[in-house]
Amino acid sequence: MIAYLISVPVMLILSVLQSTAVSRITLLNGSADLILLAVAAWGVRERSYDVFIWALVGGLFIAVITAMPPYLPILSYGFVALLSRLLFGRIWQSPIVMLILTVLLGTLFQNGLSLLVLQISGMDADWMTAVRNFLLPGLLLNFFLCFPMYAVISDLRKWVKPEKHYE
Amino acid sequence: MKPISPSSLRNAVVVFLVIGILFLAISGFLRPILGFIMDPLVTAQRWLSERFMAVYDFFTLPRNVTELIQRNMELEDEVANLQSQIIQLKEQLREAEILYSLLDFARSRPADEYIAAAVIGKDPSPFLQYVIIDHGSDDGVRYGMPVVIQRGLVGRIDAVTASAARVQLITDAGSTVNVTLQNQRADAVISGSITGDISLEMIAQNVPLNEGDILLTSGLGGNYPADILVGQVTDITKTENELFQSADVQPVVDFDSLRAVLIIKNFQITNISPLIPAGAP
Repeated sequence: MIAYLISVPVMLILSVLQSTAVSRITLLNGSADLILLAVAAWGVRERSYDVFIWALVGGLFIAVITAMPPYLPILSYGFVALLSRLLFGRIWQSPIVMLILTVLLGTLFQNGLSLLVLQISGMDADWMTAVRNFLLPGLLLNFFLCFPMYAVISDLRKWVKPEKHYE
Repeated sequence: MKPISPSSLRNAVVVFLVIGILFLAISGFLRPILGFIMDPLVTAQRWLSERFMAVYDFFTLPRNVTELIQRNMELEDEVANLQSQIIQLKEQLREAEILYSLLDFARSRPADEYIAAAVIGKDPSPFLQYVIIDHGSDDGVRYGMPVVIQRGLVGRIDAVTASAARVQLITDAGSTVNVTLQNQRADAVISGSITGDISLEMIAQNVPLNEGDILLTSGLGGNYPADILVGQVTDITKTENELFQSADVQPVVDFDSLRAVLIIKNFQITNISPLIPAGAP
């Protein structure tokens, strides 16, 4: 239960950080996504349903801030949660490799879905520009931040679920 | 009469001698002799003193180093505090400069009423060009209100909550603004893009377009007031078989360093959508 409850303040802090600071730190046009990283980092440590709550809470907070359709962040983070659950224990039992793969596929899905939504809503959104200016720089920034985020979320997880033994 | 004793005479001679020597010393007549005697003494004393101080320093230095380290730490703390104060003051100065410039702009357009707001965030999606401001419906901010700074047009209010609002910048892919060329008075449209670049479109082929031409809002469409500075024409694309020429636009506003904005409060937005015929692009 505490794993669910702790997601609210954590995701609130991360959403505020994302909006005030991280979104302004851009490489070309791409930026890191703290919520995505937090969901991925939480999901790769244990096969549980907590991660879906984290994705939902994070998605709801971002949906309040962003001008994108509200379902888009919820779907994106939900996909990351699903991915982490599906991949859990399948890749050499290593959370780090799984984290990198989850972040890679999650960022791809998020950017692809965003672009698709923009194109459907009639905006001039070019795929090549999106890959060059948004996806690749965003991926790079996400990879930079995924390890510190993993460390923070792992510590948080140990505090929330002390009965479990982690390596 | 009692005869003077030899001891008294001796004492009197000694007193006279002392007085004489003192007189000579005060008068400066004994300086060469005193120098001859004192110089080796002073040299010896100096030599001894230097050695003594060296030994004294040797024994007392560790204590002084500790004191110096402590003092250094105190001073470093003080420097850090002063530096943080300087940063805060610079930040306040910068805010004050921004507010003064906004105030100047507001005074230059006395017909308009403004709400000043600080930019507190950016849309988390990198594909969108929106900012969050710290004033909402409680402060009189309403949907569609134009947003400006002293340099020119920023965008318009897209969503409002009680205490905050979201501003769609003119660089956003979903933003179109009717503009006019300041020199030619020819109308055109500027559109944003997902990368934040602005392009000038729908400008007739016969309009002489030059790099550096100033773009102002035209007021057409009823979304923005007229004559607000938007940007400058930079890179013109003119193809013979196209209906319109196009160009890139350099906005006058630096959207990356946007700190505070003015919302035009008394601008009446005109909804012309019922007048647009069905099926029109």
